[in-house]
Amino acid sequence: MVRLLAVIDRDLKKFRRNPVVLAMSVLMPIIYLVILGNSFQGKLTGLPVAVVNHDSGPQARRVIENLRAVAAGPETFSLSFMSDRKEAVQGVQGGRFKAALIIPPDYSRRATVGGRPELGLFLDNTDGISSENIRGLISAAVRAARNDYVPIRDPRDETTLRDIDLYPKVDYYQSLVPGVVIMAIFLGALTTGAFNLVMDRFLGIDESYLLTPLSKSHIVTGLIISGLMITTAISFFIFAVSMVITGIPLSRGVEKFIPLSIVIILTTLCLLSLMFVILGRIGHPRVVGILSGFLNVILFFPSGAVYPVASFPAWLRLFARINPEAYAVDALKSLLFKNAALVNVAGDIAFLFCFTAATLTIAILVFKRTL
Amino acid sequence: MERNRAISVNGISKRFGKVAAVDNVSFDVSEGEFFGFLGPNGAGKTTLIRMLTTLLRPSSGSAVVACCDVARDPAAVRREIGVVPQAMTSDLDLTGYENMDIYGRFYGLHSRERGERISHLLEMVGLTGRGHDLVATYSGGMRRRLEIARVLVHRPKILFLDEPTIGLDPQSRHVVWDFLGKLIGEDSMTIFLTTHYMEEAETLCSRVAIIDTGKIIALGSPDELKAGIPGNDIITLTVTEVTQAISGRLGELPFVHKMVIEETTLRAYVDYGARNLPALMDEVRHAGGTVLSATVHEQSLEDVFIHYTGKSIRDEEAKKVSFFIGAGIPQKLGR
Ligand SMILES: Nc1ncnc2c1ncn2[C@@H]1O[C@H](COP(=O)(O)OP(=O)(O)OP(=O)(O)O)[C@@H](O)[C@H]1O
Ligand SMILES: [Mg+2]
Repeated sequence: MVRLLAVIDRDLKKFRRNPVVLAMSVLMPIIYLVILGNSFQGKLTGLPVAVVNHDSGPQARRVIENLRAVAAGPETFSLSFMSDRKEAVQGVQGGRFKAALIIPPDYSRRATVGGRPELGLFLDNTDGISSENIRGLISAAVRAARNDYVPIRDPRDETTLRDIDLYPKVDYYQSLVPGVVIMAIFLGALTTGAFNLVMDRFLGIDESYLLTPLSKSHIVTGLIISGLMITTAISFFIFAVSMVITGIPLSRGVEKFIPLSIVIILTTLCLLSLMFVILGRIGHPRVVGILSGFLNVILFFPSGAVYPVASFPAWLRLFARINPEAYAVDALKSLLFKNAALVNVAGDIAFLFCFTAATLTIAILVFKRTL
Repeated sequence: MERNRAISVNGISKRFGKVAAVDNVSFDVSEGEFFGFLGPNGAGKTTLIRMLTTLLRPSSGSAVVACCDVARDPAAVRREIGVVPQAMTSDLDLTGYENMDIYGRFYGLHSRERGERISHLLEMVGLTGRGHDLVATYSGGMRRRLEIARVLVHRPKILFLDEPTIGLDPQSRHVVWDFLGKLIGEDSMTIFLTTHYMEEAETLCSRVAIIDTGKIIALGSPDELKAGIPGNDIITLTVTEVTQAISGRLGELPFVHKMVIEETTLRAYVDYGARNLPALMDEVRHAGGTVLSATVHEQSLEDVFIHYTGKSIRDEEAKKVSFFIGAGIPQKLGR
């Protein structure tokens, strides 16, 4: 016990002496959250659209009203009204606008008389996502304008869809929080625990403790425990900060503190042990650098933190089934957003537990007690 | 005096691929003995120490250290020994005191015992004032002294030191030597040391094994080793050119037992060097040579090494010697 504590103490002391490492481990995931949350939001906003109206009729006015409503409400696009059709189209080509809507002079007349009313929509189709969004919103606006005008012909058999949210509203920014916490855990697990072993080997100071009576399990579990202490402390802090930033009520975290802690601690143990298996015999920090990029992508991307697991191709879904980060994300999302209790995430917890037990055993077995 | 064996090595070898770093080495060290391994760079000293201290598994052969076989019960061996590796291994971002304290805890020592022991040891190596500074702020020599102090925290029965005074100035070297001498005297420790400084081996060790390319080439007390080579002094002459005539004439002198020639340097193993120097120089002149410099010194372990290997230990490149004259070595020019 004295020996195990000494391994832990040595590691914690060394970590404390490097405040830059601590600062980076805390800042990186938070910056990641802010960047991801503000650049790839679930909904697009502020797309510049030019409108050229050559029609003074009521139909054209209605279409424009509907567009204005979108611009004012969800702010998907911002409208610029112009008189010159050529200038508007050139604006799209030049990148000033994402789209230009041209309403021809006879639009209202055709729409009322039952001719074939046509609008011109010039799209910057090199930007797939924004052009699809704009096309959809504008055609909806146009359809709505026509329906309002001919209410009698409203077809009775058309199904209307009323969506019912099963859980309290979660916006995109908030939905990133579990992923960010997992990323903090990943970073912590990567830079504590087994990494110390790699650095000691690299600096040649592993000899000093390999020569002592410390056993394999003293060394491995000692480093895992100190890594666990550092990583969970950082993760809890980041969890709290990201809840504040994204506006998730902190009370929800407090309410669910015990189950959330269990998931965070287990996930940390799981990744720390995994790192020991992977880095157990590595002696150069450069290898860790290369592996970290790789591991982060293959663990984080198919975890469901940002993209839903269900949309992955079959082979990647299969991988997600053995990816501990996927279970961790699922558990955190359920606890945080779906008001689940510990029993509801028992499956995730069982997986994380088994994964940890297996990797820890392998880690101790493959650890070399000689040079 | 019959003493127990502290180390018993039986035909131990270590191969790295095709290189035999240690090649069928056997020897015994008694308890309380100060035993030295002397050899040039790459001789296999570190590899041997690593096998004896459980860090490397022998390719063949066996060794019993303290109580147990190093391959069969490494954990038990580790409890009994202390090792100062060749490379420095203290944590730079801990203080000297913390380094020693953590180390003591690795051995399961209690805090009171550690505190007293550490202060005592820090004082012994002259680091008392710097104990609470980060090791990163230490000079190389201070760091080395810390390494030696650290390994003594748990009072090992057998102490292994791999080139402990490398990088120390002569003054610090003497401090370490005195310190090690005290350990043998007062704490009756067994010390196993490797070095490539003959002076170190000669001053400290009661017995010395000379190792080259993985093999023991001579073993005995420094006096025994020196007695094993011809003559009792060494005359070193630098001449403009070593001709056949010069080496031939010198080889015929009755007091010259052996000659080793490296480029323009002539080393003669002689009796009564000071008395015979003028005669030797005359001979060179008669053979048409010019003496540029001459020294006489008592035989040292260095000369023992040269005698057996034909190369000097100081010479990192191990320059090959051109030819030999004398007993025991293939002769080109007889006398
Ligand atoms: N891990 C290794 N892999 C391959 N060869 C090795 C390894 N360790 C040592 N050797 C080789 O074994 C031989 C002996 O090396 P060793 O380090 O034991 O020498 P040494 O006597 O300690 O030398 P020095 O005085 O330079 O420390 C050398 O030829 C070296 O290249
Ligand atoms: Mg060495």
